[in-house]
Amino acid sequence: MDNKKVISIILGVMCVLLTCGIAIQIRTTNNAGTMQSTNTAENKLRDAVLKSKEQYDNIYNELEAAEKRLEKERADVTQNNGELAELENKIKENKKAVGLAEVKGQGIIVTLNDNQKISSSSYIGDPNDLLIHYSDVVRVVNELKNAGAEAISVNEQRIVTTSSIECDGTVIKINGVKIGTPIEIKAIGFQEMLINIDRQGGYLRLLREKYGLVANAEKKDEITIPKYSGLIKFNYAVTK
Amino acid sequence: MIIIAILIGCVIGTLIGINAPVIPYTYSTFLAIAVVAALDSVFGGITSVLKKNFDLSIFISGFFCNSILSIALTYLGQKLNIDIYLAALVVFVGRMFTNLTIIRRHYIEKWMNKNEESEQQ
Repeated sequence: MDNKKVISIILGVMCVLLTCGIAIQIRTTNNAGTMQSTNTAENKLRDAVLKSKEQYDNIYNELEAAEKRLEKERADVTQNNGELAELENKIKENKKAVGLAEVKGQGIIVTLNDNQKISSSSYIGDPNDLLIHYSDVVRVVNELKNAGAEAISVNEQRIVTTSSIECDGTVIKINGVKIGTPIEIKAIGFQEMLINIDRQGGYLRLLREKYGLVANAEKKDEITIPKYSGLIKFNYAVTK
Repeated sequence: MIIIAILIGCVIGTLIGINAPVIPYTYSTFLAIAVVAALDSVFGGITSVLKKNFDLSIFISGFFCNSILSIALTYLGQKLNIDIYLAALVVFVGRMFTNLTIIRRHYIEKWMNKNEESEQQ
């Protein structure tokens, strides 16, 4: 009887160790987002990337907190002073105008994606016809601006005055950040006007009907567009 | 009683594993090979129970020594820039399959014997 007790306790402890190891391992690989690689150097690189990403996130959170504190301080200071309060409002308005504030409102979401039905290996024509290119994004953003969009973001990257949309090989670079398909373009503005991007003979229809790409626009009553996370800096331009 | 202990151990282990901090990605190879080695010992233990030559001290020492040795070998492999853990993986998983075959045969033969006996009756 005593012997059996010992055996069961030891087996229990071993099961704890085993399942604990398995659970931690599963969570680690889930965190990394990919399967275990067999290459040590690759693993080290991935670890380094994950680490610097974590650091970036931490610093970004700190910045966010500092900005919130600044906002609070400003609100406290300007509470009882009409002139300062007016200035504070002006700052807020300006921030919104240059894209340094998160905004929300009614608008549309345009989704662009590569051709999902035909694979490029079985396509006889130019395989570029099956893909979304940076020029498509540029064109859609341009049309949205023309339709009076007040704030635009592409895959959570806010389009500001200094934003560029470039081709970077297999991905598209916006604000220096690489983004891939599916591409989600959010625009805040007058919905009825913006939705005209999906008009007869328009560019979205061309992509959809001629090339078979995914190109849809839908109205949304509440869209949140993030603020620009970079820095807008003037080195050469001075106010005249 | 043994089965209850195993079940409780599994539940506690899962709970600890879910709440424990995630290890760095570089070291996940070590943990993975240790888990495979431990699993191999478990299947070996079940087989020896079926063969009726189960020995607790051999089982426990196999469980821990295999895990620690495989971790050490993996570490050595990293230092020598050769994937030794692949060899360990092949051995462990190969043994696991052999043990699984033995377990399967044991139970199928038992079942067949039972069937024959009931037919004879």
